[in-house]
Amino acid sequence: MMSSGLKVFFEPKSVVLIGASELKGAGAASATFFRSLASNISKFTKGKVYGVDLSGKLEGYMRKLTKVPMNCDLAVVLLPKDLLTKNLSSLLAKKTKALVLISDELAQKQREGLASLTKRGRLLLLGPKATMGIINTTNGLMATPVRGLTPKRGHIAVISQDGGLAAAMLDWARFHGVGVSKFACIGDGLGIGMVGMLRYLAQDKETKVVCVYLETAKEGRKLVGAISEAAKAKPVVVFKGGSEHEKIFDAALKQAGAFQARSIEEIFAVAEGLAKQPPMRGDRVAVITNIVGQAKLLVRSLAQEGLVLAEPSAETVKKISKKHPHVDISGFVDLGVEAKADLYKFVVGQVISDKAVDGMVVINAIKSTLLEPEDIQGIAEAAKKSKGKPVIDLTPGGEDNLHVREVLVGTELPVYNQPEKAARTMKLLSMRGKILNLPQK
Amino acid sequence: MVAAKKKVVEIIHLAGKNDKYELLELESKQVLAAWGVPVNRTELARDLGEAIRIAREIHYPLAIKVASPDIPSKSEAKGVRVGISSELELRQAFGEIVNNVREYKPDADIIGVTVQEYLPPAREVIVGALQDPSFGATVRFSLAGFWADVFNDFSFRLAPLSVEDAREMIQEIKGYPVLEGIRGESPADVNALAGIIQKVGQLAHEFPEINKLDIDPIFTFEAGKGAIAADARIVLGRSK
Repeated sequence: MMSSGLKVFFEPKSVVLIGASELKGAGAASATFFRSLASNISKFTKGKVYGVDLSGKLEGYMRKLTKVPMNCDLAVVLLPKDLLTKNLSSLLAKKTKALVLISDELAQKQREGLASLTKRGRLLLLGPKATMGIINTTNGLMATPVRGLTPKRGHIAVISQDGGLAAAMLDWARFHGVGVSKFACIGDGLGIGMVGMLRYLAQDKETKVVCVYLETAKEGRKLVGAISEAAKAKPVVVFKGGSEHEKIFDAALKQAGAFQARSIEEIFAVAEGLAKQPPMRGDRVAVITNIVGQAKLLVRSLAQEGLVLAEPSAETVKKISKKHPHVDISGFVDLGVEAKADLYKFVVGQVISDKAVDGMVVINAIKSTLLEPEDIQGIAEAAKKSKGKPVIDLTPGGEDNLHVREVLVGTELPVYNQPEKAARTMKLLSMRGKILNLPQK
Repeated sequence: MVAAKKKVVEIIHLAGKNDKYELLELESKQVLAAWGVPVNRTELARDLGEAIRIAREIHYPLAIKVASPDIPSKSEAKGVRVGISSELELRQAFGEIVNNVREYKPDADIIGVTVQEYLPPAREVIVGALQDPSFGATVRFSLAGFWADVFNDFSFRLAPLSVEDAREMIQEIKGYPVLEGIRGESPADVNALAGIIQKVGQLAHEFPEINKLDIDPIFTFEAGKGAIAADARIVLGRSK
């Protein structure tokens, strides 16, 4: 199957929602999620939306499937098992091109029927158990029952085998202020599996980084092949759940050129950096700071990742010392607690142009210094002129980090709250440089 | 390469005809040798007389090991003797290991004893291959002995793999400094090992019927002096 065929999932011209908005007992949760799905999709304006509410309560929704037009692009189904069993064949009779089965239970016979339809290329199926559905932020398609969350538009694609983890990933992405391009919950992969979705996202122009949650490695060889193909086009960050074949799986991911995150949170921490900054040609990282302690922690973390603290050349040191004699440039560059935007801008500009520097982490503590979150805007401006070298920001802490995040919204400067995450991101940027075989400077 | 492939097919086919799933050490080594993996000289003696004749050819010191399809772990059955330096010793050892194995497993089919070229002490490593149900052909590397048994210090890759990948695999294990040389030891021949790993990967990739392959140990000499498989075990795919 051509992966470009998946376009119909993300850019449908017509969508049918099928569910029941009021159910008692075992179906109650399904009804609540259907109402959430209906509300999420109501903002979609780039295609025609038809709704079928078997409970007959939602305004503007049809009561019966029979009224649904033929040959729609996409159907999204969220029904408990008994209602699904009863209605699936009348839905399939409508010859919808693609089907997202959010419902998690399916009668065995229907399962076999669907498997056969997808195999013969008659139907594009996502699910069953695609419990969190799909999202395309570019056109506002929220075919998902996820509650109380609209992802920001951005360049990171998120795919997950598990629904709960899928929602957690979206939640972390929001928390990190990381924008999402496309999102898909694969479920048990009866139809489109990880392989098909990876192939599609590898080619997707809106997507710069693909983040994947993998629970099982069924057909591991094929999966690794798809990851390896995708990783040639863009960084792929994988977070792995199950522990079967652990060591072989880890080795295979490494061979495929994928990056393994060690936690869900780390996925987005590193993905933000990979999406916003260029790969690093080398492993020499300059550190510019307004406090010493955090810089020491960062230098330690960089070393643990196998990176090297860059030593600016004598020429750069001379240029900076001439203008700002109090700046200490032995090892990391200490600007002192009184440093403001101007000094940061000047020094960042000088150091990043230095041939002995491959990338840079800028540390700016707030509460213990005279710096204000607004000053960071200046750093973002200086970082823009980095001539293809990656620059990231480390504002250590909780509240301060959130303030700086707000200031940097819309810029390409990623912000980190802990030295370990900043160092890890620089490491992956350098690995990306090696994978792409960029000439080392 | 075509010739090598033909030869491997032949050995496997011959073994398979007798409904055997596990090749003898001798047969496993023949597969490896045909595939270009260096092995120590190993000859089958069906009786003591043959052993003595072969020993005169190979020269002392040498090692002997029981050859039986029913004994997967020869040392556990006390079916191995190394460092045999004379014909007198060989006569004694031959009877001893055959008796040991009889005691260990009375109904074992003992084909004979292999007489093997002695290898001077070297750093010992393990190279293995396995057909994983999900990932297909995989290779694994570790140092021999407690590094593998206790610390589980293995590295893995999918096969086929490049010599570069193989080198990375060797450097990845925690025990790598042992191969670099500790306490003034000179470095081991990592290039030779990388070559063997690459070849084993290719073998497992091209012969999915080789379900499992273990070369344990490989004697690894100083840089430039090579590495030689001292024991090997191939299990064919029909075992399960």
